[in-house]
Amino acid sequence: MIKNLNKLIKNLTLNELRTGLSITAKELVNKKITVQFPEERTPISSRFRGLHALRRYPNGEERCIACKLCEAVCPANAITIESEMRDDGTRRASQYDIDLFKCIFCGFCEEACPVDAIVETQIFDYVFESRQGSIMTKERLLEVGSQNEKVINQTKLEDAKYK
Amino acid sequence: MIDININGNIVSAKAGEMLIVVADRENISVPRFCYHKKLSVVSSCRICLVDVEGAIKPQPACSTPVVHGMKVQTQNVKTKNSQKSVMEFLLINHPLDCPICDQGGECELQDVAVKYGSDISSFSEGKRVVTDSDIGVLIQTDMTRCIHCTRCVRFGVEIAGIMEMGGTGRGENLKIEPFLEQGIQSELSGNMIDICPVGALTSKPFKYELRSWQMNSIPSIARHDLVGSNLLVQPYKGKVKRVVSADNDLVNEIWISDRDRFSYESLTHKNRLLKPQIKVQGRWNQVSWEVALDYAVKGLNSHILNHQKADQLGGLVSNTATMEEFYLFKKILTEVGCDNIDYRLNVKNLDNTIILDSNIKLDALEKIDYALIIGTNIRLEQPMINHRLRKATKKGADVDVLNVMVFDFNYSLHTENIIAPNKIAFILAGVLKSIMINNGQELPDYLIAINVDEMAKNIAYKVLNSDSSVIILGEHIINNVDASTIANLVTKIAQSTNSRTLNLSITANAIAANLVGCVPQNSGMNVNTMLASDMRGFILLDIYPQYNFHHLGAAIKAFEKDDTFVISLNSFKDDIVVGYSDVILPIASIYETSGTHLNINNDMQSYIAAVKAPNEVKPAWKVLKVMADLLELPGFNYEDSTQVLTEISYQSHVSHTHDINGNLASYHNGISVIWQNSPYSIDAVLRHSRTLQKTKIGQMNNAYMNQTSAKALKVSVGDKYLGVFVVITDAVADNCVFINTNQTINIQGQA
Repeated sequence: MIKNLNKLIKNLTLNELRTGLSITAKELVNKKITVQFPEERTPISSRFRGLHALRRYPNGEERCIACKLCEAVCPANAITIESEMRDDGTRRASQYDIDLFKCIFCGFCEEACPVDAIVETQIFDYVFESRQGSIMTKERLLEVGSQNEKVINQTKLEDAKYK
Repeated sequence: MIDININGNIVSAKAGEMLIVVADRENISVPRFCYHKKLSVVSSCRICLVDVEGAIKPQPACSTPVVHGMKVQTQNVKTKNSQKSVMEFLLINHPLDCPICDQGGECELQDVAVKYGSDISSFSEGKRVVTDSDIGVLIQTDMTRCIHCTRCVRFGVEIAGIMEMGGTGRGENLKIEPFLEQGIQSELSGNMIDICPVGALTSKPFKYELRSWQMNSIPSIARHDLVGSNLLVQPYKGKVKRVVSADNDLVNEIWISDRDRFSYESLTHKNRLLKPQIKVQGRWNQVSWEVALDYAVKGLNSHILNHQKADQLGGLVSNTATMEEFYLFKKILTEVGCDNIDYRLNVKNLDNTIILDSNIKLDALEKIDYALIIGTNIRLEQPMINHRLRKATKKGADVDVLNVMVFDFNYSLHTENIIAPNKIAFILAGVLKSIMINNGQELPDYLIAINVDEMAKNIAYKVLNSDSSVIILGEHIINNVDASTIANLVTKIAQSTNSRTLNLSITANAIAANLVGCVPQNSGMNVNTMLASDMRGFILLDIYPQYNFHHLGAAIKAFEKDDTFVISLNSFKDDIVVGYSDVILPIASIYETSGTHLNINNDMQSYIAAVKAPNEVKPAWKVLKVMADLLELPGFNYEDSTQVLTEISYQSHVSHTHDINGNLASYHNGISVIWQNSPYSIDAVLRHSRTLQKTKIGQMNNAYMNQTSAKALKVSVGDKYLGVFVVITDAVADNCVFINTNQTINIQGQA
């Protein structure tokens, strides 16, 4: 009986509505924790493992020497490399493909690389417009690398002291 | 036998054995770089140090003989510390470029460094850099990586028989390099790649291709010579990428010839036949297998079988085919009622052939104390057999040679007799006479008039006075006017002296061809009769006439006849084959088909296909099987080639009766020509191997003769004789031209 009475009073005084609105009112003045992606971005750890990139040396020479250690260590078999002798006699990759559908972003390739050629950047917002798009070819990886060299260099430097 | 104690376990060993041998037998791991079981011991790397009780310093296991009661520790702190120090020392100058080193992943230094080394080096000074010398097209050098184990140097001295690599300089300036500018030319040089423990010597054709862990290793058999060396074929994504040797002490030990190692390159040659082709009204069409086989079978029926003219069908097969292919080929012909089959394409006169059994095993060859070599450049023609002979000479065996030209032997010979081809039979008759007189046997008529000269006497003396001797008859005798007499004399000499014989006049898989009966029987025609007769059709298995036939002109004429229907099964494109064939069926080459090779030991060595044949190419045994099905012949229900093998029943060799009285008394005048494909041109696969063709052996292309012969033939240096450049040298016997060529047989010269 008393239970029903209480319920009736709460209903008539719009108690629940006011509780809800009070939270809304409180959050109106509180500091916001969301950001306006993609104009604004949340901070990312320097160890974040995102899209892959192939780096070059400052003189423009590509770092990768097609040693295939990343291919060997990759637990998802996502990497395919074909090596060749370039005209100047050095060992280079004629093909370097990463299938991002297979990749599990474990970062082993980066760990295995003896010349810091393959790295995982902090880029995570990318799209494929075709089925083939998931395969990052050597050209695309080098492109990602050159566009983001500054950031890559910065983040790797930050993390270096913990390695 | 004595007992020694290794790591607390009692192990029995032979007194005087080296510690490392005992450890290997007991599966106790001892690291090593300079030690190799087939090479001499130098104990220069010091990584095999072990702790021997009683010795103050650790002892190298490779050069410490075991004695009774010896106590050895291979795992204690003292051993481990010394191994660690040696490893650190070796890595002082070794570059850490494993990521770009082709040896990476199969490197002994890498493995030992991981297992026995330390992770930190106290050496921080600059490393040594060594400039490379180009040592040829087969071996890539990177001498900065060399750790001076001298395995390659010892290999040259002890196995290849030519010291091509050597150490110059001392201490840090020690360089392992070839002494001569021309680099490495041994026919066994590829083995240096296998034995090099680091990446200093690697395969040049394989450079930067793949890492070792990417390939499978499929056991297979080499098919270029009589030995059938055991191999590991390493394919990747359906293509053979590398061939390395496999262990088999009864056949090839651990060595293989360069010919076997590098011939895989031809499989990807642009000249491969990839699709069946038929010639309709003079025009070639690429067609499907169904159409091509249908056309072939219809052609056979309409030209031959429907007219009951099976005796006008000819079957010719090259000696490179597998045993199964020989058998199916023979079976098809027999089933359609045709006995005309032959593989002896390079023999001028088949009534005058060599019939000689090989009755010595390869491993017995190294235990002989005397060998007589007749008519072969054995080092280049049968490298692995020569290697066994070399081992015998190192143990003290004497080798006499009866050749038409001075060849390069890699061991010292007792006597090297250079005589004209037409005198060989007389010398051997003299040897036989001398032996029979010595044995007190009654001389047959044909020997009575024979004059025994000094050479024959010496040889007879050696054959008589050796416990185990072998007489080796080689390829240069095939077309000798006295071929069958020579073979017969050899047999008789062997019989009267308990010598063994070795017939090297046939090669590749010819022993199998003989065994399954790919030679005419009953009323069948042999190859030369076929070529001279009016044939209505031919089936040709893997034949390239310009390299295979002695009677090339006659062969092409016979095949080209308008009403002759020719079915060719080939693996490589060839203009002459295209010229005369009506159907060309592409067949699988080496490593692409399963089959069996019969070697000189009479070992039937079967192998499986290591890779699938490219494109629409099919193994020949399958093609033959389907052809038989389409011809509606019974008994061809095979599902794989092993079923063919089990069906093969041993058939007797063809027996010829020799007329030994025949030509012996008559003296043959005139200049004899010995025409031979150079060692790297003996079959289609080798001719298409890019790198082998660039080597010095691959480029052998000369007609050798002496001054007198040159005058008689009116040629001089720079001229061509039978289309081959003339070299005038005293190394050749009188009245003889020896031609080693990698080009097509000149029609005139062979006619």
